[in-house]
Amino acid sequence: MQISTEEMAGGITRVALDGRLDIAGAALVDLKMNVIAGSSRKLLIDLQNVSFLGSMGLRSIVLPARAVLGRGGKVVLFAPSEMVQSVIKTSGIDSLLPIHHDLAAAVAALQ
Amino acid sequence: MSPYELLAASMATQDTLQPAPRLILQSRLSEIALLWPWVEALAAEYAMPSDTLFAVHLCLEEAVSNIIRHGYGEQPGHRITVDFSQENASSLFFAIEDQAPPFDPLGHPAVPAMPAAESIDRLEPGGHGIRLLRRFAGSLGYQRLANGNRLIIRFPIYR
Repeated sequence: MQISTEEMAGGITRVALDGRLDIAGAALVDLKMNVIAGSSRKLLIDLQNVSFLGSMGLRSIVLPARAVLGRGGKVVLFAPSEMVQSVIKTSGIDSLLPIHHDLAAAVAALQ
Repeated sequence: MSPYELLAASMATQDTLQPAPRLILQSRLSEIALLWPWVEALAAEYAMPSDTLFAVHLCLEEAVSNIIRHGYGEQPGHRITVDFSQENASSLFFAIEDQAPPFDPLGHPAVPAMPAAESIDRLEPGGHGIRLLRRFAGSLGYQRLANGNRLIIRFPIYR
């Protein structure tokens, strides 16, 4: 599991996750996700290279997202695969963390 | 080495590489990480499509995590067995057994459809396991054992 960040125009932090967000993957990214969430108000979570998402991985997304939303910030989920998107929709978190497959739309949603 | 000996040797090698039909896990959350290499080996052996592999990994992770966290209360010293068989060309069978107090995840009341989160307070970090299990398993069955529980999960294979 890899995690990388990029500062985009407009004060957006793009955090790209790469690999399996299972219990082992979640443990590898949790700390860094929380640090990123602590300093970001516009967070784009790039899921396009996430090949697996389980409920422990959902926690790795929800807890930092809650921190950002709690400070009045915004969070969007970007480009999950069909199966990963199905996990997200089953959990219901997409009602507060919208999913976008188009980068321009994801960026616009954060403005 | 004769061609027959070569063939026998290669078959023996293949046999040793076949994933075991049973995985035994201890009641520690770190043991859940052992599911992936086992499921991945089964997927290779039985030519599972990638969506099936995803669903199997997800359901086994959720089921085993539930047993360790809720069934055994994260107390070490217990075990969970996961048995696999291919019932036929289009169905995979998994049975997960524990020696925890009775718990039927299918009869559990905490499985209504997730209401849309309207505020950050409703954005629940946990509690999705059984919902995911129901969504991604082909079918689920539960049997109360004399001294534990057995959860049966079947997955159809669409090729």
